[in-house]
Amino acid sequence: MAMTQSTEALASAEKAAERAPDPALQNAKRLGMVVDQNRCIGCWSCSVACKGENNVPIGLYWLRILTIGGTTLESPAGTYPDLSLSFQPTNCFHCDNPPCVKACPTQATFKRPDGIVAIDYERCIGCRYCMVACPYNNRVFNWRTPVQDPAADTAVVGQVDMRPRGVVEKCTFCEPRVTEGYLPRCVVACPTGARSFGDLADPSSLVSTKIRQLPTYVVFPEKGTEPSVHYVLRTGPNAEGGQP
Amino acid sequence: MSSADTATTAAAPSSGRSAVWGWRVWMIILGVLIAAGLGTWIYQLMQGLQITNMRGNVIWGLYIITFMFFVGLSAGGLIIASAGRLFAGERYKPIARLALVEAAIAIFIAALLIIPDLGHLEHIFNLVIHAHWMSPMIWDFLVVIIYLVISVVYLWLYTRRDHAARGSWMALGTKDHSAAARASDEKVTYWYAWLALPAAILVHSFTAWIFGLQISRGFWYQAIMAPLFISSALVSGLALVIILAMVTRRRGKASFDDGLLSSIGRLLAIFIAVEAFFVFCEVLAAYFPGVASDPSRQLLTGRYAPGFYFEVIAGLVIPFVMLLFARWRAHRWVIVVASVLALLGIFVHRANVIVIGLGKAPMQLAPGTPLGTPTASGSSFEVNSVYFPSGWEFLIVIGALALATMLFTLAIRYIPLKESSETY
Repeated sequence: MAMTQSTEALASAEKAAERAPDPALQNAKRLGMVVDQNRCIGCWSCSVACKGENNVPIGLYWLRILTIGGTTLESPAGTYPDLSLSFQPTNCFHCDNPPCVKACPTQATFKRPDGIVAIDYERCIGCRYCMVACPYNNRVFNWRTPVQDPAADTAVVGQVDMRPRGVVEKCTFCEPRVTEGYLPRCVVACPTGARSFGDLADPSSLVSTKIRQLPTYVVFPEKGTEPSVHYVLRTGPNAEGGQP
Repeated sequence: MSSADTATTAAAPSSGRSAVWGWRVWMIILGVLIAAGLGTWIYQLMQGLQITNMRGNVIWGLYIITFMFFVGLSAGGLIIASAGRLFAGERYKPIARLALVEAAIAIFIAALLIIPDLGHLEHIFNLVIHAHWMSPMIWDFLVVIIYLVISVVYLWLYTRRDHAARGSWMALGTKDHSAAARASDEKVTYWYAWLALPAAILVHSFTAWIFGLQISRGFWYQAIMAPLFISSALVSGLALVIILAMVTRRRGKASFDDGLLSSIGRLLAIFIAVEAFFVFCEVLAAYFPGVASDPSRQLLTGRYAPGFYFEVIAGLVIPFVMLLFARWRAHRWVIVVASVLALLGIFVHRANVIVIGLGKAPMQLAPGTPLGTPTASGSSFEVNSVYFPSGWEFLIVIGALALATMLFTLAIRYIPLKESSETY
């Protein structure tokens, strides 16, 4: 999307405000994320930032916030007065054993050396078998020509083109940003610092340390997909951690 | 062209003008339906898959349901023709050619039905260039294409001497239609059956494995998927052979006696019993552990449970009882009605596999799965586990059914389906 002079100036200022590129992200073997449910307030900032960063079309989400235990959006678990509200922000888990990669008949979905599960939109035939294969429903399909409304392309590092109609898309861990050493946009956008991102293969990284020291879970461990997104269980009074 | 015209004259019914007009009107009706389907497909190419009702969880719909149904019809037809040839000698021979015609047409229609389901048809050549051999889908597409060739060649091998005798171009250069040549073809078709039978079993197994190997869907991830698909292929394939055989005999294009009909009816009852056994195994395994979240439990109590009860009662129990006693089977209408019910039951079974399998996603999406198209009234966080095909989807599938019917009409006109009197 073309930028005007003023937005270009704004973009360069925003870029300058980004933290310096981290070479550890560029050399990572298995990129992963840890989301702390003690910190998440369910504000959807990450989802909004993701939409602007990646030009996610209207009606589709790469990142959605699930509510744990509740029956509808942002409804608490339990019965009054013993209620508890906790969230599971959910994007592609970039599994180490990704069922979607096995399913794709054209190798359009593939695992990168840094652990990101990426999609080549030029190869995707739109058969939606990867969506069927994903146990987490983290993939979305462009049933119609994608529209972003308002047209708010907020990417400052790396440009993400809109996808064509009839292909599957999903979270890329902000692959253009990560390739340049910047954190994914949702991690930067989170106002409570609930998200951390780094190399799971490096035991000294922040994410590895958190997984080691805090009680965490992954979704459906029994399916053996080995997700790279871990959640820190909510602790304290009325804690209702676990899967939604 | 002149030889084809000769064949037409030779094959045309002798009942005169009204028959010719009836045939023309029939072909025009089918042609209009095919054109409507084709037009809808072009409209879908312009609009994208948004004109379908596939959304949310249910991302495969009527196209894939009908694809599975036709692969099953085809595999069933070829298994009956080849296994009958291998293990039952001459007994089922009078319907073997008919079963082969069914197999060839059905697999062709199945292959066509993949096309409207693809979101990005322009990229379809990536299936060849970047084929991913880990994917069950690429194997299924490959086997469908190989199997299409196998079934067409099989049909041709069965009929080429008769084509030669008629002087039809469909003999493709075969001129010898002597008894000796026919006897040597008997051997050829016998050995060819050893190739066709495993191919037919494989084609439907791969279709089953598209679903059965996905750990994401508890309703599908079962070892029984491939056997269940094969058994349902046998039921639907044989049921359609019976219906087509009755139609063809009425048109004077096939000859078999009611004794054979009764014995095919009994075979259908056996196939139905096997299918019922597999379905029972599936349901028992779903209910015995008492895990309320088992997706297979959707079958008996979910939104689509009426479909399952239809499948079991109208598709399995009633036809089985109807076909059980030789005295009842002596009535032709009993066999035909039982076949139609069994066929419908298997179609509903296919729809259940897709809609229940996809609708019950393991990750509780509420609140969180947005619909593909936001609507003014509804929330974009609605869970969409409900599916009923849109009118456009119906039009495309009806077009495909009309094409199948037209091909079959042409087949009984131009392909000799009666066993030649020269050998027997």
